[in-house]
Amino acid sequence: MNIAIQTELFDSLRLELRRGCLVLAVLAQLRVEHYGYTLRKALADQGLEIEESTLYPLLRRLETQGLLTSEWREEEKRNKRFYRLSAAGAEIFEKLLAEWNGINESLHRILKDEKERVTL
Amino acid sequence: MNLLERYLQAVGQYLPVKGKDDTLAELRANLMAEIESREEELGRPLNEAETSSVLAQHGRPVIVASRYLPQQSLIGPGLFPLYWFTLIKSFPLVVLAYTVAQVANLIFGGGSAGIGAAIGHFPYVAFTFWGVVTLGFAVFEFAQGRFFEPIKWSQPWDPRELKDLTPEPKGKSFASRVADLIVSVLMIGWLLAVPNHPYLVLGPGASLNRLSLGLTPDWHVFYWQIIGLLVLMLPVKATALFVAEKWRKGLDLTAQAIGILVLVVLVQARSYLVPLRDGSNMPSLANLAQVNYSVNLGFKIVLAVCVVKFLWDIWEAITGSRRNAAGFVGVF
Repeated sequence: MNIAIQTELFDSLRLELRRGCLVLAVLAQLRVEHYGYTLRKALADQGLEIEESTLYPLLRRLETQGLLTSEWREEEKRNKRFYRLSAAGAEIFEKLLAEWNGINESLHRILKDEKERVTL
Repeated sequence: MNLLERYLQAVGQYLPVKGKDDTLAELRANLMAEIESREEELGRPLNEAETSSVLAQHGRPVIVASRYLPQQSLIGPGLFPLYWFTLIKSFPLVVLAYTVAQVANLIFGGGSAGIGAAIGHFPYVAFTFWGVVTLGFAVFEFAQGRFFEPIKWSQPWDPRELKDLTPEPKGKSFASRVADLIVSVLMIGWLLAVPNHPYLVLGPGASLNRLSLGLTPDWHVFYWQIIGLLVLMLPVKATALFVAEKWRKGLDLTAQAIGILVLVVLVQARSYLVPLRDGSNMPSLANLAQVNYSVNLGFKIVLAVCVVKFLWDIWEAITGSRRNAAGFVGVF
C-alpha cells in the first residue's frame, strides 16, 4: 500500500477510534466541575491531549444532548462557563463505561491469545 | 488583546445569530485563560507574535465556527443506503425510458436532431434525475423526526420473508440454436429466389397478374445489402454452436446487431411497392402510398423493439458478468 494512503487511512481510523474515547474521557473528567480551559489541562495532565477547537464544541454538543449542565460564574474576576455531568449524563456514563470495559477486556483477551499462539 | 478580539470577530462571522454572543463569550474566556497561563509561565505579557501563535494553534476562524454549528447532512447516514440503492437501481430504468422515448421520437416524430443530439442531451436528463431523487430524499430527511417518526432500521425483521432465490436464466438449447441456423439458411434461400419468383413476396396474385403492383426499383439497391448481412449472420450463429458458454452471449449479441442492421436497411428504403405501367387494376396512388407508409411503419416498430431488446440484453450481459465475477449466483 502506498505510504501516503496508509498514513491517511491510519489517521482516519485513529480519529474514529479516538472520537468515542474522548466523549468517555470528557464525561469522566466532568464528574468534577470544570470550565473549558481547565478541563483541557486536566485531560492533558492525564495524558489525553485534545485540541481546543475539538473540545469546546464537544462540550456544547454534550450539553445540548442533556449529558452536561453548565452555568456562567465569575472566577478570578472573569466570567467563565462551568460544566458538570448531569444526572442523565451520569447514568449514561456508567453504561458507556461498562461497555468500554467490556470491549477493553475482550481486546486484551484476543491480544493475549494471539501472543500465546505466537510464542508456542 | 486587539488580535484576540479580531479573531473572535472573524469566528463570529460564521456563527448563527442565535447563541453567537454566548459562544464567543465562552471562547474568549477559554482563550484568555490560555494566554494568561502562557504569560504566567513566561512571567511577562505575550507579544503579538506569541498571541498570534496561540490563536493560530486554536484554528482558522471558519473551521472553529463550523465545529459549533449543529451537525447537519443533506441525507443522513440512516437514509443514505436507501438513497444510494434507489439511484443505482433506478438509473438503468431511466436509461431505458430515455432510449425508448428517443427511438420513438426518431422513428415516429421524424426527429431531425438525430442520434448524436439524443446522446448529447442524456447528461442533462441524468443530472435532472439525480437532482430530483436527491431533493426528494433531502426533503424526507428534513421532515423525518420533525413531522413524522424517523425510520428505525433496528426494528425486528424476519429473514424468512426474503424472496426465493431467482433461478439462473437458461441460455438457448443446442437444438434451438440448430433450428435457428436452419431457418436462417432457408430465409436466405427464400430471398435469393424472390427476384425470379415475385409471388414469394407479393403472394399468388402476382403470378396471376391480378395485382398491378411491382417491387420498387429501390429493392435492387437494398436487396444485396440484406443478403450480405444475412449471410454474415450465418457463421456467427454456426460458431455459437461450438464455442464455450461464455463466448455465446457475445456471438448472440453480434447476431442481434446484424439483425438490427437488416432492419435499418429496410427502414431506409421507405418505398417498397410501385404500380406497374401496364396494370389494368392499378390501385390509386394515394392508397399505394398508404400501403408503403404502413409497411415502413411496421419495420420501424420492429426496429424500435429490437433496439430496446438489444440494449437490454447488453445490460443483462454486463451485469450478469459482474455477478459471476463477484461469485453471485442468480441472486438478483
